[in-house]
Amino acid sequence: MSLVSGNKEHTTYNALFVAFMRLLRDYGVPVGLRELLELNRGFEKGVVNDLDSLFIFMRLVFVKRVEHADAFERAFAFYFYDIDIPAVAEGDYALFNTDQFRRWLEKEIREGRLPNRALWDFTPEELMKRFWDTLREQMEEHHGGSRWIGTGGNSPFGHSGNAERGTRVMGGSRNRSALKVIGDRRYIAYSDKNQLREENLRQALETMKHLKNEGPYNRLNLEDTIRNTARNGGEIDLVFERDLRDKISVILLIDNGGYSMTPFVEVTRMLFAKMHERFEDMVTLFFHNTIYEQVWRDFRRTRALPTEQLLLRKPDTRLVVLGDATMAPEELEARGGAIDNYHDFNKPSSIHWLKRLADRFPHACWLNPLPREHWERVHGAYTLKRIRSLFHMEDMTLGGIKGMVEHLSEK
Amino acid sequence: MEQYHFEGTDKYYLEPELKAVVNIALAMEKPLLLTGEAGTGKTQLALEAARALGLPVEILRCKSTIKGEEACYTQDTVLRLNDARFGSGDTGRHVQNFYDYVVWGPIGRAFRADHKVVLLLDEIDKTESDVQDNLLDILEECQFTIREVNETIKAKVRPAIFITSNAKRELSDPFLRRCFCHHIAFPTPENMRSIVALHYPKTHPKLLETAIAIFYELRERGFEKPPATSELLDWIGALEKTDTMPDPAFPPLTGILLKRSGDILRHRRGDTRRKSY
Repeated sequence: MSLVSGNKEHTTYNALFVAFMRLLRDYGVPVGLRELLELNRGFEKGVVNDLDSLFIFMRLVFVKRVEHADAFERAFAFYFYDIDIPAVAEGDYALFNTDQFRRWLEKEIREGRLPNRALWDFTPEELMKRFWDTLREQMEEHHGGSRWIGTGGNSPFGHSGNAERGTRVMGGSRNRSALKVIGDRRYIAYSDKNQLREENLRQALETMKHLKNEGPYNRLNLEDTIRNTARNGGEIDLVFERDLRDKISVILLIDNGGYSMTPFVEVTRMLFAKMHERFEDMVTLFFHNTIYEQVWRDFRRTRALPTEQLLLRKPDTRLVVLGDATMAPEELEARGGAIDNYHDFNKPSSIHWLKRLADRFPHACWLNPLPREHWERVHGAYTLKRIRSLFHMEDMTLGGIKGMVEHLSEK
Repeated sequence: MEQYHFEGTDKYYLEPELKAVVNIALAMEKPLLLTGEAGTGKTQLALEAARALGLPVEILRCKSTIKGEEACYTQDTVLRLNDARFGSGDTGRHVQNFYDYVVWGPIGRAFRADHKVVLLLDEIDKTESDVQDNLLDILEECQFTIREVNETIKAKVRPAIFITSNAKRELSDPFLRRCFCHHIAFPTPENMRSIVALHYPKTHPKLLETAIAIFYELRERGFEKPPATSELLDWIGALEKTDTMPDPAFPPLTGILLKRSGDILRHRRGDTRRKSY
């Protein structure tokens, strides 16, 4: 397909793919004019000759970060094959909250393949399996033949009103068609919305690399070298200087009380253990539920450190607090609210300490293991909201870690 | 203009999708940024592509201390000072001549070459982000300026640029926008069979099958550093030499597959739980 710059063709391409690009933006893949121009340049060079090479070429042009790859593949399946894949992984119970699942269920019931009481009669696992089986069947049907699709309504999930987004699909002749590639969902683990876990720990760590400290004496200061050499009567005197980089100290405060944090303790500690290698001046401290007049130096909370002392550290210290921020309101706001220390009414409330920490360390971030979607309605949403008004809060997804590093790196 | 097309080599199993990716990047003359886990063959791909296309390779192995300029050229100031002080003798260098003291870096050599070369920037994520920003325009326009004499070096032939990165998000958006990016996923067992077969064509198929099965089972267990392709290849080589058939319950020579002491200890304890949070 060699299309030399005929204006007419260009118009066609633009019209055809602008809609797809809009869809990509809806799916959260940032694309713009630059990519569109590149796409057209590729068509002129003739790198695309069937749907499979279009898929690969478009992925190269549009997907710059691996966390967008899954969204791209879903958008591609939707636009070119009329198959609407939910954003969740197979086996994830979050499927039941997706539109795709709801539409599929309605249709199955309407067409009599499932009884009205399907949600009660079947186990969640069985419904989930049926959903993914239907999706797989659809994908099997599609890849291989040349056919017209995208007429709206022939999809199992019945999203009408998108018919104009369809296009003609030319057959997949390669041994590995685009749709088969999409079906693998190889990139879902890298999606930004993913929870932090061991497999993607390294990915999170890489973002932390941005926080770095001072470099070694390895830069030759040419002017001083020449000056000193001249002063020496020509005997060479080399002058080296340090690379200028930020020196960053970090305080980590971990809530290790209560079972709510347990699942996150291991992965979090691993992340922090790795961080130790990166910054030499980093302290890890622990607290229970929320912060009062003291925090602890050890995991079992035996060696206390007055919070006042913590507040003496340099204000450009990066403060990272890890905790779910949910508790009874009085634990946060009442004097003597501490579970361990509830009879001492002379001590200020926890919110007082949190506020002082937030004021002292402008580069502070609160990492919350609860997914962001739950913040509004979790048990304890009130205290979470109050703490959030003091600290920049992120959840423990890859996107959250990235947000944290960005926030901490702001000058 | 000459067309370059890469078909894989006897040492490198080129998956069809990856082949399409490489060839599109070659045709579009865009830098190809390869990301992915260690051991998925990112660097190898660039080297084998160069070998198959019969092009010389220039490699920049990135370090955290490297400067963008250094990748293009360095001026050996100390040597020049030394020559100015003690004379250059019969080395043929002239203290007055700037270019006698220029040492070309990989990018400089690639741009000055008369033929097309493959330029590999290995592990770009190790560099500081301002270095990446410096490299942006250099790679896009295929030219750089020698600051000291204000002269521009422009590539005679656009090199085929491969960039590898172990990180997944370290690089800046503008940098990524100028590249084609491809994340090499870990090989499926099917692909792994083809890869292994290229390296060990004569090994007993039963040994290979068992080894691959154990390998993928170990990868599933969520070790901190899961074994990768190169480890598997080493392991099969060792099994072949020692003539052992691996027992899935007690795989021998696990030191080749697992590298971190924590992982090895966990494996010895027989900790087979899968991680899920």
